[in-house]
Amino acid sequence: MTGDAAKRIGEVVLAESARFTVHCYDLHGAPPLGAFLRASDGHAPVYAVVAGASTVSIDAGRRPVALGEEEESEEAVYRRNPQLAQLFRTEAQALAVGFRDGDALRHYLPPRPPRIHAFVSLCPPEEVRAFTQSLDFLALLANAPIPSADDVLAACVREAAAAHDDRHAFLLRAGRETARLLGADVQRLMTVLKRIRP
Amino acid sequence: MGLDLSRAARDIDSMAGRLHDGAAAQAGRLTRARAVLQAQDARLDALREKVNRGGDRVTFLVAGLSDGLAARHPAPDAPSDYVALGADGSQIEADRHTPVACFLLNVGTVTLRYGDAPGATLDSVPLLLADAADLEVRDPSGSRSVRLDGPLLGVRRAIEEHRALLELARRAPPELPVVALLDGSLVLWTLSGQAYPDFVREALLDRALLPVLDEFAALARSRPLALASYISYPRSTDVVNTLRVAECPYEPPDCDRHCAGRGAFQRPCDSVGGVLDRDLFGGLLAPGERSALFDSASSIVRRYGRHAVRFFYLNVGDEIARVEMPQWAADSPRLVELAHSLALDQCKRGRGYPVALSESHEQAVVHEADREQFWRLVENALARRGLRAETSAKSTSKRTRWL
Repeated sequence: MTGDAAKRIGEVVLAESARFTVHCYDLHGAPPLGAFLRASDGHAPVYAVVAGASTVSIDAGRRPVALGEEEESEEAVYRRNPQLAQLFRTEAQALAVGFRDGDALRHYLPPRPPRIHAFVSLCPPEEVRAFTQSLDFLALLANAPIPSADDVLAACVREAAAAHDDRHAFLLRAGRETARLLGADVQRLMTVLKRIRP
Repeated sequence: MGLDLSRAARDIDSMAGRLHDGAAAQAGRLTRARAVLQAQDARLDALREKVNRGGDRVTFLVAGLSDGLAARHPAPDAPSDYVALGADGSQIEADRHTPVACFLLNVGTVTLRYGDAPGATLDSVPLLLADAADLEVRDPSGSRSVRLDGPLLGVRRAIEEHRALLELARRAPPELPVVALLDGSLVLWTLSGQAYPDFVREALLDRALLPVLDEFAALARSRPLALASYISYPRSTDVVNTLRVAECPYEPPDCDRHCAGRGAFQRPCDSVGGVLDRDLFGGLLAPGERSALFDSASSIVRRYGRHAVRFFYLNVGDEIARVEMPQWAADSPRLVELAHSLALDQCKRGRGYPVALSESHEQAVVHEADREQFWRLVENALARRGLRAETSAKSTSKRTRWL
């Protein structure tokens, strides 16, 4: 499931066991929150879920300023200042949720993070479908030490559901798994369920 | 304990007081300079003749008046599709504490395309100067040599900036008008005067910079290419010095004969003294307008031939800038219009300063951390080959501060 249908969006520029950062090739071209990514690493690609994105100045010492007061459109700001596209970078933060181990898909942290400059692709629907046959990885998202873990979890479920032919059945299965994970915290559970409701 | 700012503050305050006391007199000299500018504009030929009669006896650098004095030219329309090029450099300089004699030049370059197909290419290219031929200028007909450091390294850097800019110009889409900008003066002031022997001028100017300018001129024959340098907040007084000649009561003007030994503001021509060209033209030019073209009278420029430097002042809105062009470009009304309109357009896009130059500076800049990293790379490379990187105790002490 690492065929040509996957769209390459960037490269790993910061790698840890549980998360990595992707420098996206296109400015403002971050993959959607909750989307499934694959960081190629030869025979053992790492799967990850987009947990956030940011677009910042390449040079930390240079802050963007408002330029468009006299422009008709946002596009015109970029056309008038073509250098801008070179001076910002869009990065996506990804939480590792599994990896390929020979023919098997594993739904827990990979033995090692992807390499710096590993190519990162957006998983095509069939790959998402295959990976989400098991929902064990949702525990990694539910327990991720990030402030927006609930939103990332819900966004991931919505993204995965869109890849399944029977979307409703998938949502039911994901809802049950979420209830199992968050059952002790009813408020959190309700928050997530509200956000994955069709 | 480092700088005690509270002590310095007292001196700063008294400096501000002295400036305030002198402000009224300065304003009077500026008013006088503006009046002389207008009056002399009506009798340019007489002023030119007086300047010629003075010749080298006038010790100020006097702007050549081939194009008028108080003329104002409104901004031509800038083409909507054009290319702005910029090149700027910075350097890491060895000093006597560093382990190896070598220099690093870093030239930042920018190509900005505007109009229907906008785009940008930003780049920087480091150049390590470490061979004997790079580190000194040798007299080919003798055994003398001059170390290439300090100001001469600045000249070498300027040459590399010109070369980089020429490469950009060659690669620019041939159908579009191009403004190629450098930061600072086209005049290599370092080489004027007697500070360096003539073989240095021959090596760095005649055999290095001028051939690059020749190639620019050749390229400009086949495409609209305006080469210009841009000086923000210029401190030059070439035009005011011309007004000094107008104010001179002696005939012919002869500074050493008539005014030697007179103190500050004691000479008759000091009626316009202390005024900068930018102050003079600040009262004359409306936003967008440029002045007449003047000729630089620097002694080194006499070697430039057809690349002799001409300049105009330009009101870019926030300040009066100085734009210099080689003579072959300044002699072409079309290229002057391009330099005028596009320098202005670059300033509008760049919040008062040409974008092509601010971005090439950003590409070129070498931060303190880069500098330290560079020397660490040098030391590591030496160590890998079993060479000991000797450095002074003073340098080591600065890098490993201890208590």
